[in-house]
Amino acid sequence: MKVVHYLNQFFGGVGGEEFADTPPNFLEGPVGPGNLLNQILPEGSQIVGTIVCGDNYAVENQQDIVSFVNAKVKEARADLFVAGPCFNAGRYGMSAGAVCEAVKSESDIPVVTAMSEENPGVDVYRGEVLIVDSGSSPANMRDVLVRIANLGAKLANDETVGPPSTEGYIPQGFLRTEFVEKTAAQRLAEMLMAKLKGESFEPEIPVTTFEPIPVPLMTTEIAKAKIALVTDGGLVPRSNPDNLPRAFSRVWGAYSIDERPKLLEEDFEVAHGGYDNAHVQQDPNRLVPVDVMREMERSGAIGSLHEEFLSTTGNSNPLENSRRIGREMAQRLKEAGVDAVILTST
Amino acid sequence: MTTEMEKAGIPVAQVTPMTLVAETVGSNRIIRGRSIVHPLGDVDLAPEEEHELRRMLVQRALDALASEDRTTA
Amino acid sequence: MRLTLAVHSISQTDFGSKTQLEGTRLQIDVEELRRCILQDRRLQSVDLEIARPGESCRAGYVFDIIEPRAKEPGSGADFPGILGPVTPVGQGVTHVLRGAAVTVVDGGQPGGELGYESRRGGVSKILEMSGEAAKRSSYGDLQHLVMVPRAHPDIKRHAVLNALRVASCRAAVFLAQTALSQLPDSTLDFELKGPKSGNGNLPRVAYIGQIHGHQHGTESDEHILYGANTRGMMPTPLHPNEWMDGAVVTSYSWGARGLETYFYQNHPIIGELYRLHQSGQANFVGAIATISSDQESEMKRNSMMAAQIAKWNLAADGVVLTKYAGGAPHTDMFETARQCEALGVKTVALTSDTASDNRAESALLINTKEVNAIVSHSEGSDVRFQLPTVDRIIAGNSEVADIMSGLSELTPDALCGIANNQGASRLQPIIY
Repeated sequence: MKVVHYLNQFFGGVGGEEFADTPPNFLEGPVGPGNLLNQILPEGSQIVGTIVCGDNYAVENQQDIVSFVNAKVKEARADLFVAGPCFNAGRYGMSAGAVCEAVKSESDIPVVTAMSEENPGVDVYRGEVLIVDSGSSPANMRDVLVRIANLGAKLANDETVGPPSTEGYIPQGFLRTEFVEKTAAQRLAEMLMAKLKGESFEPEIPVTTFEPIPVPLMTTEIAKAKIALVTDGGLVPRSNPDNLPRAFSRVWGAYSIDERPKLLEEDFEVAHGGYDNAHVQQDPNRLVPVDVMREMERSGAIGSLHEEFLSTTGNSNPLENSRRIGREMAQRLKEAGVDAVILTST
Repeated sequence: MTTEMEKAGIPVAQVTPMTLVAETVGSNRIIRGRSIVHPLGDVDLAPEEEHELRRMLVQRALDALASEDRTTA
Repeated sequence: MRLTLAVHSISQTDFGSKTQLEGTRLQIDVEELRRCILQDRRLQSVDLEIARPGESCRAGYVFDIIEPRAKEPGSGADFPGILGPVTPVGQGVTHVLRGAAVTVVDGGQPGGELGYESRRGGVSKILEMSGEAAKRSSYGDLQHLVMVPRAHPDIKRHAVLNALRVASCRAAVFLAQTALSQLPDSTLDFELKGPKSGNGNLPRVAYIGQIHGHQHGTESDEHILYGANTRGMMPTPLHPNEWMDGAVVTSYSWGARGLETYFYQNHPIIGELYRLHQSGQANFVGAIATISSDQESEMKRNSMMAAQIAKWNLAADGVVLTKYAGGAPHTDMFETARQCEALGVKTVALTSDTASDNRAESALLINTKEVNAIVSHSEGSDVRFQLPTVDRIIAGNSEVADIMSGLSELTPDALCGIANNQGASRLQPIIY
């Protein structure tokens, strides 16, 4: 295996924080901790070159550093790319993640990096890049490099990578269902007893939290605003022209309301499979309230009702889909000059 | 979906019977819908009463849009 | 209140001239059984077959799977509120045919996607008797009496479902009554001291289980708890023995995805809590049956009341929670758990994996940081079972028969006995 290594100014031996603006430099062979890594790598494998770059430079000129790294990796015909270990250094972690992701996508070779769990690079890159858990202390360097070498070799040889706890990397967040010895009931009883005794336990699904979003404010008063209706209850025109599925939708549709005073049962149907849709089918305004919005238009409570409603099927939709659909819908609504949205979910 | 639209700067009032889900995901303006099977309706009411209910819920949504604070109503 | 299960092992099941149990051989007089089932005039016929472990056989779509059980006279009614009067159960002696099962196939949903029209009744849930799927299924090593009751064409759907439910219980009792005059192979006793007593130092544990989700609707003649339809039901304290002894059966929802009456009778979680009790590790103080509502106000009220009962009536230190099928029940369970935690009752919840993209962040429909103890049985959407061509298909109608004979691959959620919402499942999502 020919390995190319990426280091920041500190581990690359250039200097401390004062040298964080150093542009990238390519050196033959291993540098700094790369020397130790070189010894640990399997027989016949070696670090053929090292890229050293200042943390500030890398963060502020991401395009540049990515191009530089990609070029060197190609020139060297590397089989494996390693970045870090970065420990707690945030800018370093972010850059290491960025160059790893870029090399993986550009050259399609295995990439590995390492940083502590708290490093901001983890949240951003863990899905794409294998990140060894380095902890925060550089005293662990040898152990971390051993794990990097091990995982790098596995990836390069297309071997199965074991679970995070065995191989020592930060979970990427992918779920793989496996058959285990114990029934769910047995696992529940054990977890309950552990929790009651104050012992530690690991939930089988991690409990994650979402970042709060600042409240977007109206830029015009409601009486002058153009309001759009959106739903994830899967209301579509009869015959479901865009083929919205009953669940897990990757697609959404924009359907014309024209001048209609309300939505009629004969014109619409419900694609959503997760709820008893008889009532909405009977009167679609129970989901997309065109009737009331028209009245509000007439009475001047709102400026106008946007001429189309947007619809998708929210049933059990994974976050990635919902987020992307939300982004795409937002773009269409903004282009149409919509001021606000009423979104109905089931 | 709501949070992505809000990130793009569009005020959204979400009408849903599952307000807890909306709150956990971080939606800012949440209006309690009537039921999963008819968020803006109620089959147990007479048609005029149901229409009045819908008007009230939509008005709540509009009031939430006008407000600057996080709301669950 | 003591329940004694008189367990009779079944190694072989055949149709024969007499309905009887000889040692571990169960013989069924098929015409006698047919007459018993057709007491229900809504049915015009019933197909009866036996499917044995390893046989090249596939049955679907399954309405329910029940273990044959019959109570000794004087011990209470069999399936109270369904087959007969409402009497208390969970005590006395109940005879069990272990190794056997009554599997009811829903014949009545031709049309619609995948051969069914609504999510009530048999819904792409298949019993596979051979191959890898059977090995992994809790039902793969049982002798199944498979029934396809067929109603008269003019019988309304809700009445058809009711007839399936009655037929399932009737057959279960009919078979188990062969054991009443026989000596069991073993007996198991289930007894709890009430919530007021118990060793002071042991942690007090309880079970909160959802027995229905109303988001898909409920028929007025649907039997769920002591025969009641559970509309408007508020959390109800139930003795674990009642749960295991015929007081609770599954509802019609979603083909009761990952739930069968078999695992109410053999409730894995109640079993584990009893094990903790009997081994002196904990004090099992009781159980609470709940339903998941489609109205948020009702959901909040029910969650609060369940937590209150756990805290103040059962004085529980910790509870295990399970849900019914679907998203609203999932939210309901989390809210109930949150309310318990707020009262100082520690919780562990069983979820199924709602992530279709296999990412951990999508797996929990709702995140509440206080509810931090989660076991997931996963529905295994990333697991695939290769299915062989089978010699025998037992189907509810020809449309489903065609679909089932053409199957080459299925995920665990479509197979009975693999992804189970009651705790029997050995699936676990591992985070990579």
